[in-house]
Amino acid sequence: MTQPEAQLSDPVAYGEVRQLVVDWLDDNFHFGDADKLIQGDDCSFLDNGILASLGFVQLIVYLEDKYRITIDRKDLSRENFDSMAKIVTYVLRHKDFRRAA
Amino acid sequence: MSPPLSPTPIWTPSTDAIERSALTTFTRHLEKVAGRAFPTYAALHQFSIHENRTFWRAFLGWSEVTFEGDVEPVREGDDCETATFFPGLRLNYAENLLKTTSHLRDDAPALLAINESGERTRLTRGELRAQVLGVAQSLRRLGVGPGDRVAALARNQPNAVVAALATASLGATWSSVSPDMGADLVLTRFGQLEPRVLLFHGEFAFQGVRRSTKERNTEVAQSLPTSRTVMFFEELEPDSSPLSAFPRFSFSHPLFVLYSSGTTGPPKSIVHGAGGTLLEHVKEHRLHTNLGPGDRMLFVTSAGWMMWNWLLSALASGVEIVLLDGSPTYPEADSLWRIVEEERITVLGTSAAYLEYCRDAELHPGRRNLEALRTILSTGSVLHDPLYSWVKEHVKDLPLQSISGGTDILGCFVLGNPNLPMYAGESQCLSLGMDVRMLGAEPADVSAGAADRLPIGELVCANPFPSRPVGFLGDPDRIRYHEAYFSQNPGCWTHGDLITITDRGTARIHGRSDGVLNIRGNRVGPAEIYCVLESFSEIGDAMAIEQKAPREVGGSRLVLLVVMRNGAVLDRPLQLRMKKELSMRASAAHVPSVIAQVSALPMTHNRKRSERAARDVLNGRAAANRASLANPECLEEIARHPDLSLQDDN
Repeated sequence: MTQPEAQLSDPVAYGEVRQLVVDWLDDNFHFGDADKLIQGDDCSFLDNGILASLGFVQLIVYLEDKYRITIDRKDLSRENFDSMAKIVTYVLRHKDFRRAA
Repeated sequence: MSPPLSPTPIWTPSTDAIERSALTTFTRHLEKVAGRAFPTYAALHQFSIHENRTFWRAFLGWSEVTFEGDVEPVREGDDCETATFFPGLRLNYAENLLKTTSHLRDDAPALLAINESGERTRLTRGELRAQVLGVAQSLRRLGVGPGDRVAALARNQPNAVVAALATASLGATWSSVSPDMGADLVLTRFGQLEPRVLLFHGEFAFQGVRRSTKERNTEVAQSLPTSRTVMFFEELEPDSSPLSAFPRFSFSHPLFVLYSSGTTGPPKSIVHGAGGTLLEHVKEHRLHTNLGPGDRMLFVTSAGWMMWNWLLSALASGVEIVLLDGSPTYPEADSLWRIVEEERITVLGTSAAYLEYCRDAELHPGRRNLEALRTILSTGSVLHDPLYSWVKEHVKDLPLQSISGGTDILGCFVLGNPNLPMYAGESQCLSLGMDVRMLGAEPADVSAGAADRLPIGELVCANPFPSRPVGFLGDPDRIRYHEAYFSQNPGCWTHGDLITITDRGTARIHGRSDGVLNIRGNRVGPAEIYCVLESFSEIGDAMAIEQKAPREVGGSRLVLLVVMRNGAVLDRPLQLRMKKELSMRASAAHVPSVIAQVSALPMTHNRKRSERAARDVLNGRAAANRASLANPECLEEIARHPDLSLQDDN
């Protein structure tokens, strides 16, 4: 597995958003097992039962609230959200993204 | 009462559609019987209450339900709690669902089943009846007879429908729960049931994930000593010498047992009678939903929710029922709408939570060919006004009927009407034959939105109705039954919901009036949460409350207030352990969104916990019963807790 580009360019921000997503997965679906289920940041959330469609919508609503960004629902696709790396990269590249205080 | 909300309907039926509706046909029939005209629905509804016996007798005849015996007396007694319907009449529920008539032949479609892989199974009425009669014989050979109980952890598959109808054919009682239910919850239900036969599916699939149920099945089977036969659905094959006829049983003969969990004690095991269930469902399907032969109805439900039983009964009206085994959002976000398009579904039953998901995911179902779809039904939780416009704009301009009732009556108090206009946020009418009222209605918070200015009262039904349950299991003196529905307002069924009935006869449901929670459309009894938490030595006391949360699916979230024992700390690992345990031993709906530590829970002077006070405060209201609390100061702590602030409405 190669490191996502976003992780290379800002590892601290990447780590923060990543941890936020892990905590959210634990709080809502996996209760402490999220990190074990995510076998690498490019592991598919859909194919590995980590998150499914309804959960993705809940996650992006959470990310919108947390970072005060608006996520275009047209972007809600496998290409943008189906792994940890894709989710974090999407958030970091969002034009309105600022690290949480 | 306040003036109605929206002055203009969001949908209006055509004159032609009204002329052709079954409700119009029935109204004309009743006019002949009664010798008077019913120019409005209100007039018809009033008659159905005040001349209740005439109404039900006329409906029984018009509906062509198959029965034998005397139709008189229609009803014995006038008290809602004790009256009985059609004591001289005998029928078989399954026979009525599977019969053929001149316009409903054996080759008519009866059932379509779809799973997440997209596989389809289709059965005609003749094929379904043959399977039911064959499996009924197999069950009989296993010793199942009238009055016995068959329990199932069932997927929403054809073999579950066949087994349920085979059970009913024999006059035995069917009870199913969803296959993802944890062992503890299953045992609190089936332990009361004492089933003779226990049926399982070996695994279940949801959102593409297949899970074995072997371990849980074994635990359940070993803990139910009364089950003489434990088997997989696949092993229950039709006998080569099928049952030759459907024996008929009394109108109130036990048909289904369903469960309802409250704030204390084990879940209520509610026994529903065959005649009441059948007659109520045929009334709701034909008169209120205009269902009939040619309709294909898909209701998104598991085999553990009352809407599954409600869907089954639609066979009696000649409807082809569609079973979806799995998620409506898998494998694609809009999978359900693809099915609606491809299978030309005419009536789709879903929930407010699912429609909210479609809106939030910005799906565009209307871009598909939804030509066949004519009605959407929604139930499970409150369907808020904006969703009506969303459906009209993004799905189709059709009636979106908000229907509401519950497990306790296996039917609806408020629902749709093919002859009336539809107003956003409102159920179109009160159910025929039911004297539904709002009791003690008081104007609510005038500083809030328009909907909150409506008078809101307790939903009660003031007259007897056939689908009132027969009773509870394990309650021979009917003490718990009385306490559950009749102690609060003697002579009236008190349902536990808050309702507004508008001047134009429409209704709005506002959620529960008691401590029962509604999480993403799932009814959750706090008692089941407390039961699981008993295994946590760190937790001294806990209280589960539903808090409004507009950004959450279903519009609310589950908050758990906990008082820690002996200086224990509510840290993150403990919170995750609690959530995991609740998820495994109860269900995903039992998992709180927020767990908050407080120093005390509100208690009344006579040491009763007050969920009501906590609920008021968590939802931004002053506690209505503050004066009756022994420790009102704890409410300030709850109100100020940083994790419990109300979400913004945007």
